[in-house]
Amino acid sequence: MEITIKNKDDNMMVFVVEGVDIPFINAIRRICTVEVPTLAIEDVDIYKNDAKIFDEALAHRLGLIPIKTDLDSMVLASECDCEDHCPRCSVSLLLKEKGPKIVYSKDLKSQDPNLKPVHDTIPIMKLREGEEVELEAKAQLGIGLEHAKWQPTTSCAYRYYPQITVDTEKCEACAKCVEECPRGILEFDEKENRVIVSDLENCSMCRTCVKGCESNAITVEGQEGKFIFKIETDGSLPPEEVLARACDILSKKTDQIIEFCG
Amino acid sequence: MIPVRCFSCGKVISAYFDEYQKRTADGEDPKKVLDDLGITKYCCRRMFITHVEVW
Repeated sequence: MEITIKNKDDNMMVFVVEGVDIPFINAIRRICTVEVPTLAIEDVDIYKNDAKIFDEALAHRLGLIPIKTDLDSMVLASECDCEDHCPRCSVSLLLKEKGPKIVYSKDLKSQDPNLKPVHDTIPIMKLREGEEVELEAKAQLGIGLEHAKWQPTTSCAYRYYPQITVDTEKCEACAKCVEECPRGILEFDEKENRVIVSDLENCSMCRTCVKGCESNAITVEGQEGKFIFKIETDGSLPPEEVLARACDILSKKTDQIIEFCG
Repeated sequence: MIPVRCFSCGKVISAYFDEYQKRTADGEDPKKVLDDLGITKYCCRRMFITHVEVW
């Protein structure tokens, strides 16, 4: 298996994998989105809420706020041996504000300074003059299978690595395919009088160029066993960690099958 | 209020809404502001463009 990173920043990564099959890459993708744990607010005790927003709408907004996660120091609530909540399986965030103001995610005061909302500028609610809010929110680890708020990834997908071939014997050098391509991937080389592919990885395999070619000289297909994988996270975990955890989970699952067979 | 996340992909878009609103109110082109903020996917971009702040 060969992996080349094409593009990477704090919460997004694009890479090309070669020498894997669809079931494998799809297993990784599914585990990334739905089985890697992350932190999200699960229980909210609202002591006071004078604002126009209903308690349940407020709790829902809180649940969607991504929280920086440290998977090494925490366990899933279902695997924790405490009775209700403890620092090993949950983090408390306190909110106490008085209007008039817009309450932002930075106003949530976390028990643990390392486990705080990823963004400071998420508007949570609006308070008018004299209105007050006071609540305690408890964030827990969970997985996307249970609720989408626990998905560490936002977009996580792969596609075939495209392959564009121009049959030089059939090609009439009309350059119609160059005009047709909506993404400007093809170029016409005036000197050599032929079509060249300039930006292959940007090809969406829409096959507009194939339809536009009158002499059927151009073909677009996906390469077998080669994929472009894009993973973007909500900021709670870096993309490399999500991928590494997904691989751990997959190998744990296969170990279980080996154990069962042996 | 703007939804916390994009309906389709789940990216946290609300964190950038204040800046978007301020800059477009100052007369900047929404397209340019969204490009600047790194909102590249069209699902996320429509969240900004179609949002009406009512209260």
